[in-house]
Amino acid sequence: MNEGTAVALPKPSVWSEMKIGGILGYAAIWAFFIIFLIYPLIRLFYDSFTTEAGIFTLANFQDFFTDAFYLKSLMNSMLLGVGTVITTSIIGIAIAFLLLRYDFPGRGLFSYLTIIPMIMPPLVGVMGFVFIMGRAGTVNIILQDYFGLQHPINFMYGLHGVLLVETLHLFPLMTLSIVDAMGKISPSLDEAAESVGSRGLRKFRDITFPLTTPGYVSGALLVFIWTFADFATPLVVGISDLLASQAYLNIVQFVDRRLFKMGIVISAIMVILAILFLIIAKKYVSIKDYSSLSYSVIERKKLSPLAQAGAIAFLAFILILAFIPYLGLALDSFGRGWALTPFPVKYTLQYFERVAIETPKFIINSLLYSGISVVICIAVGVPIAWVMSRTRLPGRGVLDSLTTLILALPGTGIGIAYMRAFRDPLPFMTTALIGMWIVIPVVLAVRRLPYTVRGTFASLLIVHRSFEEAAESVGATKARTFKDVTLPLIWKGVLVGSLYSFILALQEASATLLLVIPGHEMMTVGIFNFYIGGSVNEAAALGFILIILGAACLFIINRMAGSKMGGVFG
Amino acid sequence: MKRFAVVIALAVMGFFCLSGIGFSQAIENEFYLITPVSKDVHDPALKAFAAFVKKKYNVDLKTSAMPQGTPVAYGQIVEWKGKPQADVFWGGEGTLFDLLADQGLLDKVAIPKAMWDEIPATIGKPIGLPLKDPKGYWVGTTLEPYGLIYQPTLLKRLGVEIKGWDDLLNPKLKGQIAQCTPDRSSSSHASYEVILAMYGWEKGWDWLTKLAANTGIFTARSRDVPSVVSKGEFAVGVAVPSYMAFAEVLGGYDVMFVYPKNAYVTPEPMAVLKGAPHPKAAHAFVEFLLTEEGQRIFMERGLYPITPKYKVQGAPGSNAEKAVQFTAGIRSFYDIPVGNVYDPKVAGEKKRNEEVNAYFRKEIAEKHKELIKK
Repeated sequence: MNEGTAVALPKPSVWSEMKIGGILGYAAIWAFFIIFLIYPLIRLFYDSFTTEAGIFTLANFQDFFTDAFYLKSLMNSMLLGVGTVITTSIIGIAIAFLLLRYDFPGRGLFSYLTIIPMIMPPLVGVMGFVFIMGRAGTVNIILQDYFGLQHPINFMYGLHGVLLVETLHLFPLMTLSIVDAMGKISPSLDEAAESVGSRGLRKFRDITFPLTTPGYVSGALLVFIWTFADFATPLVVGISDLLASQAYLNIVQFVDRRLFKMGIVISAIMVILAILFLIIAKKYVSIKDYSSLSYSVIERKKLSPLAQAGAIAFLAFILILAFIPYLGLALDSFGRGWALTPFPVKYTLQYFERVAIETPKFIINSLLYSGISVVICIAVGVPIAWVMSRTRLPGRGVLDSLTTLILALPGTGIGIAYMRAFRDPLPFMTTALIGMWIVIPVVLAVRRLPYTVRGTFASLLIVHRSFEEAAESVGATKARTFKDVTLPLIWKGVLVGSLYSFILALQEASATLLLVIPGHEMMTVGIFNFYIGGSVNEAAALGFILIILGAACLFIINRMAGSKMGGVFG
Repeated sequence: MKRFAVVIALAVMGFFCLSGIGFSQAIENEFYLITPVSKDVHDPALKAFAAFVKKKYNVDLKTSAMPQGTPVAYGQIVEWKGKPQADVFWGGEGTLFDLLADQGLLDKVAIPKAMWDEIPATIGKPIGLPLKDPKGYWVGTTLEPYGLIYQPTLLKRLGVEIKGWDDLLNPKLKGQIAQCTPDRSSSSHASYEVILAMYGWEKGWDWLTKLAANTGIFTARSRDVPSVVSKGEFAVGVAVPSYMAFAEVLGGYDVMFVYPKNAYVTPEPMAVLKGAPHPKAAHAFVEFLLTEEGQRIFMERGLYPITPKYKVQGAPGSNAEKAVQFTAGIRSFYDIPVGNVYDPKVAGEKKRNEEVNAYFRKEIAEKHKELIKK
């Protein structure tokens, strides 16, 4: 824990330079982290290491590690995570290389389209796949009706189905991380290598690989954790022997106290694993890597016509696969009574009417809570970024680690930690926090904070310190300098980071599903409720609206940030 | 920096103060339901109730439902420890309601005596299933069989007919059956108990293992079963409440329902939670559902009246008539012989419940991959 202070080398003047307001602000940030991140996690660990009566025990973990079923779930989760990292790496890196290094028609369009698959709220992605590739999905029906296939091909039901869904959903994360990392390699390095005769594989090994490793590792970590924490996708295809699914299923049943406890223990194990992975990857994913941040214009090679066709064909193929869920969702949200035909026979708007006009609360709550969470993200995240890039305050290293830790924490774990931590009223309050809607925007803010921090931090690094010093030398206060000099220069970065926080808050459905309060459901919760309530069409319609919202935000980001958008994920 | 920091500090603190003051107060123009009864029925019931409240009291009632499976809802209520976030618990088996009443978590039902007396004490032979609590802590609201649902086109393609339980073991149905696990769904659990009561423990599990060998998917929620069948992903669904199956028909899908011999019939019990945030709305809701207006909501959605007084009837082509056709002519469960072998005294025990779930998990869930290969 003291690592941060050691790095910061606190001089006595650090504190004396600060005004009371600054200290209060810094304290508020810390209070936010302690109350809404550290305390819930400690509570989760406390619960998993104690009996119902509060006595320390290791029996819970012993139960876990001696139960063949849970061990198999752990194994499956690891395999699935690693599998997804491998598949997304292959696709993600190939796309990143094509987009970054080569010129071909439609490159700009492809670079926008290839990030779209990231917008896929949980549950609806796999639903969309099942509509098209399920046992009675479009593909199998066409094969059976026109090509004499006897038994439907099982694309979806099983771990391979989960792998398919996760891969096509998450490869953009990998692409973004690699694009970002490669964007930082100066072409002069490339040229230097080539001038001394290093080409091809050799150049890749000596220059490209080491320099892109940090970006790649952080992308891989994100993909791994994402898959690891997803419980909705496996459930749709009938898989429940995964850690996240077991955590969720055990928690949402309260009858069997032993199973409930196991749910808490599994969540704790998931959090511990996430922290372990983070420590392993730590030297790559630290925010400090951005010290070398400078985007250089990369000269793109023109491809031969044949290679151009190949590149376009490859991208189009991946995109068609990745857009399958969108097609399935669109068809099912407009189609009535669609079964055993390649496409719906009857079309209707009734589902949209029901989810958007009759009960507009889902959309309103989603926008409201995600909006509030972004306000919190900015209120907490911008100062953090500022503290990390402009001050030598003690503890800023720890802030950095905590922000990175959030990225690695599985949402199910946070949700369960909150359930345990805030079930009794906090001091000075009459109601328990988990009974109040404010807990939703708060947990969203905590989970999506890193994107705002990273977006802001990246832009702060580009603003040279001398601008601010110039302003200060003519008598401007720190606050005035920030407002008049720094803010105009970084607002784009803040906005891009915040929009990412916003999109991802809109799509959050692991912590919020566990913490939902009746009457305050968001769209993702609505999707889940409609789905488990059997109104699959309504779920699809709500998912469709959510995707459109996400795509619109992404379009704005794309316009504003151009190639820099990878920065927030790094 | 100073002003900026103060603003942040105030903003962060403001959130907590605001939330503490503004949202802790409960108001009687709200009503929250926790229920395993799916949206297909609870949604229209809540809407009709809100309209009724508007007409009678001129109050704009805000309603909301927490859709939870029966075991989950039960556990949630216990977890609330007498400070519930919902007003009424609706649906599942009477035995769980008895357990809640024993823990002092329920209020007595307060409906007019005539209304209470109209509801028969039990239904079914040789064992009568209670339709209301003799102590008055819960009351049945409607009758609902847990039956079988199938996709006619797919069945025809497979050359299979479904009339009763044993047709499910037809080898042609391999991989075509969808069911929910008994530890996650009370309809599934009750149906497992029916099988165990019919065949005995040993042979019953034998039968259920064969069923598992034909099962293509164990869903996590019982409502997923009719969904996957209506889409044609799987041909037959087991232990499906009649209204869930009928909801698929109303949704435009082509599915059929079978009420097999001795299938469990639930009265969908309802109880007001002790310490409910909106007790008046809660008691009014119970009473409303037992009026003719309330019972009509059920009859139009594939459910059956709780008293012999009403019959499912409507204009030709109406939803009520469609529901009658859908279940091959049933208008009231008091018109037909209702067989029941499910004994609440045996199956209702907590220990027995866990025994069945544990056996299922060990012998069926964990071995499912091997079972389907046979």
